[in-house]
Amino acid sequence: MIWILVIPLALLFFYAVSVYNFFVSSKARIKASIQEIGNQLKRQSELIPNLESSAKGYLKHEKGIFEKLADARKAINRAVESGDLQKMADAGAKLAGMLPDIKVVVESNPEIKGSEVVQNLMNELRDTSDKVMYARRLLIDLSADFNVKRATFPSNVIANMFGFSEVEGLKMDEAGEATKVTRESTKTPKVNLE
Amino acid sequence: MGIFLCSSTLARLHMKNIYEVRQSNEIKSFIVIAGFFLFAAFVIYILTQTFGIYMGYQPGGFGYLGIALTFSGISTFVSYYYSDKIVLSISGAKEADRKEYFDFYTVTENLAISQGLPKPKIYVIDDSAPNAFATGRDYDHAVICATSGLLDKMTRSELEAVLAHELSHIKNYDMRLMSIVSVMVGIIALMADWLLRVRYFGGGRKNSDNEGSIGAIILILGIIFAVVSPIIAQLIRLAISRRREFMADAGSVEITRQPNSMISALKKLESDTEPLEAANKATAHLYIVNPFRGNIKGAVSWFSGLFNTHPPIEDRIKALESMA
Repeated sequence: MIWILVIPLALLFFYAVSVYNFFVSSKARIKASIQEIGNQLKRQSELIPNLESSAKGYLKHEKGIFEKLADARKAINRAVESGDLQKMADAGAKLAGMLPDIKVVVESNPEIKGSEVVQNLMNELRDTSDKVMYARRLLIDLSADFNVKRATFPSNVIANMFGFSEVEGLKMDEAGEATKVTRESTKTPKVNLE
Repeated sequence: MGIFLCSSTLARLHMKNIYEVRQSNEIKSFIVIAGFFLFAAFVIYILTQTFGIYMGYQPGGFGYLGIALTFSGISTFVSYYYSDKIVLSISGAKEADRKEYFDFYTVTENLAISQGLPKPKIYVIDDSAPNAFATGRDYDHAVICATSGLLDKMTRSELEAVLAHELSHIKNYDMRLMSIVSVMVGIIALMADWLLRVRYFGGGRKNSDNEGSIGAIILILGIIFAVVSPIIAQLIRLAISRRREFMADAGSVEITRQPNSMISALKKLESDTEPLEAANKATAHLYIVNPFRGNIKGAVSWFSGLFNTHPPIEDRIKALESMA
């Protein structure tokens, strides 16, 4: 007869443990995903000078592009140094926001457009901004999972018991711009095929 | 069947967002898988009982089940554990480097970042039929393989959709699930086979007299099961495989947030009916589209659909359009 009491209690205990472990491990993953954003931004700021030096000869009449790239790189460096998540997220959006402008310059000049070095530059720029975008996506997804589980029954009971508070994730006011840019940049390959 | 019918009616009734799709996919997948394991346990129990009566010992013997488990288990485990290496040696794939396959390499890298997974190893098969598959026993041994035809024909965002589909297979541990399911199907098939052989060669002993009528009933039931159950088990295995394809499609949209690029990728794949030479039956369920597909329509297509590892591409497109 005692089993009628013991088995449900044991099940309840295992459930509580698994939910607690979810919150703890998910917090660790969120922390890692923030580091991943910084990591990708660092890669981006190291990549830009490399690309600049290789494409400089081809784009010597388009000084504006290099000024923009240098600006973006400085912003990224500052943000990574500060370690502030929101600044990093904003800096990451900066290069993505510039891509359409650079594309317009490249498109308008068939000579530049045809060169392999410039194509390579465009591909690399697009790829690095994709990487930052996906790193941000990971943080967004992980914090959404965390917050949903924290707020819904019955896992919220355990969250309250151990005082897990809501994770902030990324502030979304610049997300509209970022998603627009992403959609824009997915069109690049169609251009390449022409 | 009921599950599939009701899903398509639901899709027509209202638009679902990706989260609803994921949830209903998970529930359906769970029902199919749980049903399969119940069925397998039941069949194996009946077959074991029948063996016992055949061989004249007390029902409930585990000996034959043990042998079947060993046979089917070892072969499947080996092909599961070394799946990354075996598949690559069969299909003659070569590792893709960043410079030559820039889009393939970087898209895989980016998608892995978005899921917090280690980047899978990526390989290219030199074949003009567009297709791709994923394999490997866990995240650290995951492999994504694409044909050169796929890489030539897809745009970057379509490639992203296809590779996100493969990454979903990896993320959902579909390789592991299908291996376990294959072991169960293998056990049922082996035991049924033995039972039918024993009937012809070892049968005829008169010791079933003292078992009485229950023994006779189990005997008849066992023989019926021996004939029917391998087919049913195989059908359920294929149903699970088709469910996982829908799940991976939805998973792909969840990663890329772009149902339209998955739809246009599937349309491109559909219009190409060239069979893939490097494919074999063992790996067919992990490809993005069935590598052996042809163009069959109507009632024949419904029937042959039961024996397919993949749902029809039109149905997959319909499911995706409900999310777009």
